[in-house]
Amino acid sequence: MSLSRSPSPRPGGGWASPGLSSPYVDVSGRSSPANGYRGSSKGNSVTWESAKAKSEGVNGYPSFSTQNHGFFNRHMRTLSNSLPRFSGGPGKSYAEKEKLGRGRWMARPGTRMAKMQSFVRNVPRRWWMRLLGVLALILMIILFYVTPLHYYWRRAKHIGGGKKHVIILAANQGGGVMEWKGPREWAIERDSVRNKRKYANRWGYELEIVDMSTKKRYAHEWRESWEKVDTIRNCLRKYPDAEWFWWMDLNTFIMEPSYSLQSHIFNNLAANTYRDINDYNPLNISHPFPSTYLDADARSPVGDGKPESINLVVPQDCSGFNLGSFFIKRSAWTDRLLDVWWDPVGYEQKHMEWEHKEQDALEFLYINQPWIRPHTAFIPQRKINSFPPGACSENGNDTRIHYNEHDRDFVVNMAGCEWGRDCWGEMYNYRELSNYLNRTLWELFKEELIAPLWFKITGHKVRL
Amino acid sequence: MHLAFPSRKTSNPPQYLPSRTPRFPTLRRSRVQAFVVGALVVGAVLWLISSISGGGERIPSGTPPVVIVTVVDEESYGQAYVKNVKENRREYAKRHGYTTFFPSVGDYDLGGSPVSWAKVPACRHAITKFPHTTYIWYLDQNSFIMNPELKVESHIMEKKRLESLMIKNQPIVPPDSVIKTWPHLKGENIEFALTQDKDGLAQGSFIVRRGEWAKFFLDTWFDPLYRSYNFQKADTHALEHIVQWHPTILSKLVLIPQRTLNAYNPAYYDAKEGQYTDGDFVVRFAGCDTVGRDCIKEAEPFSKQWRTIFYAR
Repeated sequence: MSLSRSPSPRPGGGWASPGLSSPYVDVSGRSSPANGYRGSSKGNSVTWESAKAKSEGVNGYPSFSTQNHGFFNRHMRTLSNSLPRFSGGPGKSYAEKEKLGRGRWMARPGTRMAKMQSFVRNVPRRWWMRLLGVLALILMIILFYVTPLHYYWRRAKHIGGGKKHVIILAANQGGGVMEWKGPREWAIERDSVRNKRKYANRWGYELEIVDMSTKKRYAHEWRESWEKVDTIRNCLRKYPDAEWFWWMDLNTFIMEPSYSLQSHIFNNLAANTYRDINDYNPLNISHPFPSTYLDADARSPVGDGKPESINLVVPQDCSGFNLGSFFIKRSAWTDRLLDVWWDPVGYEQKHMEWEHKEQDALEFLYINQPWIRPHTAFIPQRKINSFPPGACSENGNDTRIHYNEHDRDFVVNMAGCEWGRDCWGEMYNYRELSNYLNRTLWELFKEELIAPLWFKITGHKVRL
Repeated sequence: MHLAFPSRKTSNPPQYLPSRTPRFPTLRRSRVQAFVVGALVVGAVLWLISSISGGGERIPSGTPPVVIVTVVDEESYGQAYVKNVKENRREYAKRHGYTTFFPSVGDYDLGGSPVSWAKVPACRHAITKFPHTTYIWYLDQNSFIMNPELKVESHIMEKKRLESLMIKNQPIVPPDSVIKTWPHLKGENIEFALTQDKDGLAQGSFIVRRGEWAKFFLDTWFDPLYRSYNFQKADTHALEHIVQWHPTILSKLVLIPQRTLNAYNPAYYDAKEGQYTDGDFVVRFAGCDTVGRDCIKEAEPFSKQWRTIFYAR
């Protein structure tokens, strides 16, 4: 706003210049004008006289009042007394109030709140730091296990090592051209696959489900049930990071998913396996090799004795090697074994005798070819391949062979259940038993505490 | 209004605390640093020493690089003939620091299979007896080394030399078997060198590199199922069989020209290639043990010849 004229008083009072009178005169378009002093007659304009009078202090009190004006002014004391106190209680001198309270909230002394407060205040600083550390740790653990972080951790090659283990699950064995699957077979397959998948996901392993249905290309090549060999070879190619391959038949069930392969077997391979077959020798294989022309490793009962030289880990049941659940390691040796495992000359001469085909062929190789033995180890059967009471039952229950729930055996292999036993029934039972043995704390609480209490009170059994 | 005063000092001052002392007074920072640096230096020196003295397998000095294996049969051929054969190998071995190994056919339990099988356990035995040698050269009894100047390494087994000798894409069983030697083998991957004559693989003279593969190969070859199978030519056909059926063996095998390792006596061998000419490494009287031929008589001219060549200088 520019001043076009020099400011000069107007005859009626006020200033001619709009710039000077703007707060008071209604030129700025204010709808609620600022209230003038009390003596002003018009209210919305300050006259020369009134301003002069004001400056002379003749016109009584100013227009605003600090006393007894408005609700809060009148009720301040009552309101503030009803609020919680922000300083020391009665009996504290002013100085002490200053020191203790500093305007912060404080509980009244003697109350529980106050005791708590003083306790908290008296805890030393380093304890706070420790508490903080513990809390952070708990938070991190929760974060680690709730998020998929722990999955990637366990999979990572050099940390958890899950990627180094592949579970090969043979599905559809003997299916295809030989027979159709009924609902029971489907149920077995579903349960078995779900069991392995859960286990593999938990520990970050790879799971390879292979279709073992009898194929024409094997039938005409006389290679039925040697697909195992080809499958392992394919897996070696498919998982280049993997080190150990765990072959599992369909009729197996991992009873204790909380065991990792590393902690259960591979971290201490030497202690968990035995190299000398004389420890348990159902086939009566003469070991070590009698031929004197062989080298020291081949003639030693335990090979070179180093766990790194183990490339094949096989359990033995009551009648010899069992290939329902075994480990094989990636190595040049393994390539050679998989290569010579099936040979037409051997097949032609022995296929009537070898009713377990590749299993008998492996036994034959073990017996006759000295290069096999220094790299083969055996594992006590119940470590990875416990049998149900129905299998190997000629001599009754054998603690080396049969499943024992009190020892929490790792895996059950319902071997031979398709020959006159009830595969689905066994699978169902073991599944339920595994669930029962591995109940969570919450399930234990419900089933062991609440359900019996409820039964005592009401007399009704209840399923929670 | 007033601004906040600086906070008062507490009226119960904390007790006097000495400045923080390390938990282990001997582990001052400077000492720890010196210790770490020292450990690193010692480690580096150890690593240098170990890498200079050659990592991996330690081969004791005085180990012969090549072992010449010949299975001898004194009963059928007579002591003089066998002595001559042994002398030929020994003289050759002496010149190059090699060694020889002469088991006899009766040393191994062959389970009733033909005696020609004895070469397989004999090679295995050589690996046991000379666990640090580099090559096992099996040379049949009915043969002579004719050129003492040639070394096994430089003449055949050296990487570059082997790659130049290698016969690629060659049917294992001539003339036209489906399985052929690999077209892209590298010299350092080869474990097994042998030759082919007009009938197929010639296992009268072959070189195998000592190692895990050699054990695997020999054990597989010696499998009782092959020995009991009645292959027409026993070990020869068994070898052709495993080479053709098992890629882990084929991929380590190299065929080299016949005359580099296995030239035949021209009087009894009518193929274009493979006939012995002067200067060749080895002459063999292949098939002299068949009916109507006489090994001792066939060997006689070459027996004189190798002596003149060997003792000329």
